[in-house]
Formats: sequence, structure tokens, C-alpha cells
Amino acid sequence: MNKIVIGRYLPGDGWVYRLDPRTKILITFIYVLALVFTNNWVPYVWATAFLILVLALTKQPLALYWSGLKPILWLIIFTVVLQIFFTPGSPVLWHWGFLRVTTPGVVNAVYVVIRFVLIILMSTVLTLTTPPTSIATALESLLGPLKKVRVPVAELALMLSIALRFVPLLLDETQKIMNAQKSRGMSFSSGGPIKRAKAVIPMLVPLFVGALQRALDLANAMEVRGFQDANQRTHYRVLKYGHEDYQAAAVTAVFVVVFALLVLHFG
Amino acid sequence: MDAIKIDNLAYHYEDQAPLFKNFNLTIQAGDWVALVGHNGSGKSTLAKLILGLLERDDGKITVYDLPLTEENLGKAREKMGMVFQNPDNQFVGATVADDVAFGLENQQVPSQDMPAKIEAALKTVGMAAFADREPHYLSGGQKQRVALASVLALQPKIIILDEATAMLDPQGRAAVLQTLKDLKKAYGDQLTLIMITHDMDEASLADRVVVLDDGKLVLDGTPAEVFEAGDQKLKDLGLGLPFSVQVSQALKVQPPHYLNQQELLQWLLTLNK
Repeated sequence: MNKIVIGRYLPGDGWVYRLDPRTKILITFIYVLALVFTNNWVPYVWATAFLILVLALTKQPLALYWSGLKPILWLIIFTVVLQIFFTPGSPVLWHWGFLRVTTPGVVNAVYVVIRFVLIILMSTVLTLTTPPTSIATALESLLGPLKKVRVPVAELALMLSIALRFVPLLLDETQKIMNAQKSRGMSFSSGGPIKRAKAVIPMLVPLFVGALQRALDLANAMEVRGFQDANQRTHYRVLKYGHEDYQAAAVTAVFVVVFALLVLHFG
Repeated sequence: MDAIKIDNLAYHYEDQAPLFKNFNLTIQAGDWVALVGHNGSGKSTLAKLILGLLERDDGKITVYDLPLTEENLGKAREKMGMVFQNPDNQFVGATVADDVAFGLENQQVPSQDMPAKIEAALKTVGMAAFADREPHYLSGGQKQRVALASVLALQPKIIILDEATAMLDPQGRAAVLQTLKDLKKAYGDQLTLIMITHDMDEASLADRVVVLDDGKLVLDGTPAEVFEAGDQKLKDLGLGLPFSVQVSQALKVQPPHYLNQQELLQWLLTLNK
């Protein structure tokens, strides 16, 4: 269970922990957006440096982030394969039937990996250092203006925080169900892809049934504790920008300006 | 003063025979009532009906003189709290403090008043040191004590525990039961406890034991009355007897009347003299 790092909050006392969740969301958003604008290694080096600074400021061991990346390794490899074999262009390095490996394909693949890893790590910092409820409260605050156009922001924020809260629980349950079925001779890792896919079905059914039961129980518990309208609630965690947030804003501004200059210069 | 008064209650689950029919039950304010019965006897359904989580077919339920109707539901629920069976499925917040805060947020308690209330509630159940913990790092018994704190923070007059110890290990269970005893001692008549259980040792902690079978009230009285007079009936219902009664019945020289575990121990010790 402790393997899962993505989406999980881990208490700590690093500098990043003291930031307002809104600051962290905005910085993550700006960072991810910035990465879309470049296809050159120089801005990526700069972005990596910024990420390393952020990681250091969380005071969490780097091994933790590495284990956070592991579960999505396959997704990265899959994207790389797609990029390498299906990017048209020249020079063609190797081809076999409709598959061709081109220099732009390889270059693109490298950038995709870097972009992927940077984005995942930055969002992991956000979820790792911010309790889910704070993320939800922050989103509610940031998206507040949308309430005017009747977007149910408060409801969505509450839904999000509950969904995040149940992620580790459902992962645990998945593991339990898998173990229970393994102990009765089910194999999830042998046989061809079709056999493996079929093995997933008897796992998903109890998982869904369990999740629905949990949802019903939770709805009862919420109702009994007086939940009626997501808009008519006060908040335990009150958001307030402090001097750390101004420091973070300044550092991020420097990052963005330098990044923009690098992109303009190198492309 | 009646904490809960149920008159002529009728209820049936869809496509099933009626569970409750002309059901009556009155619970005095300040009582500690154990509601026992086997699976499907209607004890949990009754709790849900009292809290208005299920809509009754007929009859009247009043909570501290407040009739339970659609308009009154919110107000009536403010007087009641409930701890459910599964410790995980009632933990709304990301941390212990957030979870206790959830109910306060719903009651629109001002933000600056919350920390003190949360701390007080957590202190009562002995979980104050865990305020910033995530539910994942707590044992089942600790989660149930947090659930109890979440309920206590809202200062209810009635707390209903629906098999709250059923999924706990012996230590967790002992801790929850001890917390309940402490609470009852601290609040006295200000707090009515309704404990749904099929564990007879737990039931023997209460002042009054109510036995349900298929939506009917079959036994009702003090633990002494129920366990003494109803032992055959309890066995027929498959409910068993508290440990102290089992020991008493196995003795050659039996105690003159029902004794709980502590009393039985005392009595056995006097035999030696």
C-alpha cells in the first residue's frame, strides 16, 4: 500500500507545506502550462532546476518521488513507443513495414518523457504536501467566480475531496481482493493479454459493489452529521496568504520570465 | 422526559413483508439502552427510521417532543448523533481534525470557534494527540473514537451506536466501550445512549435491554430482568447470554440473582470465606 505516492498526502514540515494551497495550485498550473510551450532542451533544463528546488523545499526523500513515478512507468513507455514509431519525418533511421523510426521521433520521445516526468513530479508535490480537503477548499476559492454562472463549485469541491480521501482506501481494497483471489489460484500475471484482461473482471465486480456500499454508508454518515447544502457551510481550514506565498510568487515569477526568454531564444 | 417516543410505527422494505407493524417504544432521557437482536431483526432499520434516513410507512416518532417530520428533520437530527459499524465509511475528513470539523462546518460554526471545539471533543475520547493524523494511520478502534468525537462535537442529546464495535479487535472494542462508560459518567442524564449490538456482554453494560425479533419487541427490562427471565428465549433467538450468566449457570452453587461480571467475581470471592 505504501507504494502509492500519486494523489496521496504525507504530513511534513518542509517550506512547501507552509504555502497556501491556492499558491501551490497556481504554481503547478503555471508550470504545467509553461512546459507545453517548448520543444528545446535548454528551457527543459531550467524547468528541471526549478523542480529540483521545489522538491528540495518539500524536505521529503527523493526516493519517495522515485517510487511515485514507478507505477506510471508503463504509461511513459507506451507513449515513448508511440512517439518513436509513429512520428513521420526525416531522416529515417530504421523502418519495417509501416513502422519507422525517425530522428524527430526519437527527439520527440525524449521530450515527452521529460515533460511527463516533470508534470507528474510537480503535481505529486502538490498532492503530497497539501491535504485533500485543502486542495478542495482552494479550488472552491479559486473557482469561486464560476458560482455566478451557476457552476456548482462547492459541491464539486466536496466531491473531489471525498474522492481523494477514498483513493488509498480503494487501492487497499483492490489489493485485498487480488490477494483473496490469488490465494484461490487466480493468476493476474500469467497468460496472454486476453486471459489477463479476463482475470480483471472478477476483481472489478467486488470492488464496485464494495465502493457502492461505501458510498451509501458515507452518504448516511454525512446526512446524520447535518450535511444539507454544500453552499451553506463554514470552513475549518481558512485560507490566508502569508509571507511565504509572496516569496513563492516572486520565485515563480523569476522562473516564468527566464523560461519565457529561453523559449523565445531557443524555441 | 422522553428522549425518543415511537408510536404505531410501520415500515417495510420494498418487495418484502412488513418489518414493523404497530411498533411502540419509549426511551427515557438519560437512559443507556441496548437494542439487541439477530441479523435482520430490524434493529439497524429502527435506528435509521429514528434518524429519518429511512421514510416510515406510518406511525409517529418524536425526539425530545419534536415530531419527526420532513420540516423538522434537520432540527431533530441536531439532537442526535450516530456512530456506524464500518470505521472507514464514516470518515469524511482527510485528517482526524477535518473529520470532526465536518459536522461543525455543516452547522455553520464560525471558523475561529472550531479549533477549540474540535480539541475538546477529541480530548473527551482521548484522541487529541492524533488531530493531524490521516485515517489510514489509525486503528479501527481509534477511528471509531474519532467518529464518536465527531458526534460529540455537535453536542447531541442522543447518541446511537449501530454495531460500532463489531468490526474492532478486542483492544479497540474495550477502548470504545470504556469511552462510552466515561461519557455516560460525565454527561449523566444529559446524554441518552442507544447501543445496537448482538453482543450480550456489551448489552449488559446498559441500564435497559430491549430485544427485537422480526420487528417485534420480545423482551424489555433491566439486564437482570432480561437475562434472568429470558434466558431460554434468548437462546431460542440464537443470541446467547453474557459471560457472567453463562458462568453462573455452570456453577453448582448458583448466585441468587443476575450478577454482572464484576458482581459475580465479588460473589465468588465471598464464597471462599
